Amino acid sequence: MTTASTSLQNLASARDLFALTKPRVMSLVIFTALCGLLAAPGALHPVLGFTAILAISLGAGASAALNQWYEHDIDAVMQRTRSRPLPAGRMDRDTALHFGIGLSFFSVLLMGVAVNWLSAAILAFAIFFYAVVYTIWLKRNTPQNIVIGGAAGAFPPMIGWTAVTGDITVMPVLLFAIIFFWTPPHFWALALFVNSDYSKAGVPMMPVVAGRQSTRKQIFGYSLILAICAIAPFALNAAGLIYGVVAILLSIFFSALSFQVMVSQTSEPADMAAEKRLFKFSIFYLFALFAALVADRAILVV
Amino acid sequence: MSDMNPDNQPMTPEEQKVYQARQRQRATIMGGLLFFLVILFYLITIVKIDASIQ
Repeated sequence: MTTASTSLQNLASARDLFALTKPRVMSLVIFTALCGLLAAPGALHPVLGFTAILAISLGAGASAALNQWYEHDIDAVMQRTRSRPLPAGRMDRDTALHFGIGLSFFSVLLMGVAVNWLSAAILAFAIFFYAVVYTIWLKRNTPQNIVIGGAAGAFPPMIGWTAVTGDITVMPVLLFAIIFFWTPPHFWALALFVNSDYSKAGVPMMPVVAGRQSTRKQIFGYSLILAICAIAPFALNAAGLIYGVVAILLSIFFSALSFQVMVSQTSEPADMAAEKRLFKFSIFYLFALFAALVADRAILVV
Repeated sequence: MSDMNPDNQPMTPEEQKVYQARQRQRATIMGGLLFFLVILFYLITIVKIDASIQ
């Protein structure tokens, strides 16, 4: 690499720094955190609510930057991630590392100073969990990477909730459990039809290690646990009828799609219609479920 | 950039232009962010003071 190109890499563009935060993933994080915040009992001043969501978003962005700093080699191999700033050579690794660490500290301090230190502590743990436990430790070493790593993505609604209440009760734990058990069916459905890419990168995704059929059975198993967790807030009287009806209908449909995946025998990614359907629906499922929770709470308050 | 000396080659005029444009862009964004944070921390302080009074 030339000195001149190194200088350009050292001064990454603002657009690449923004791309390092995985804005698309962040949108889901913002949404679930906001839902946790809006569904929690009590009230938070809008300025503090905005600050809490901002801190959670910055924390998610920091995790994504640290993830890409560590995974630059994997990203360079996979078609989907090849054009990211680091593998494409538009940014040097130190910039990504410094950006990620700086953003992590800032997001946690912002949450602690403006909102409360319990939320800040959970945010700090979530960043640590994603960057260290998932990215550095689990992802390359176990096919259970997605299962345990999914916990990192499950923290935002819990943090949104604790930002309002200042304590952890059954409900934020259930919100955590919903995303935790939603993650394996969501990602494994994707991993089934982008299987070859993960194998090429040497990532021990479940379909690569345990095979497609075992993965399909596990997808169905997790979808049943997800259904129990999703319906639990209604069953425990922690959420109302609107949420209950939406959760039951969505979960039945989710389980039905997962069942189709389980009985599918296809090995050609192009023919994996059931897997693609489940992957698409899983995104809608989470959005609709959390939106129903907020609608339920809003009507209860009115 | 393949015709450049990897040891200590200065930037070409084109690269210098890109470099300076990035510097300007980053400085502008950083200025905007700092201004935003000043406003945000001001508002947080007002909200906290208000809450402690009530």
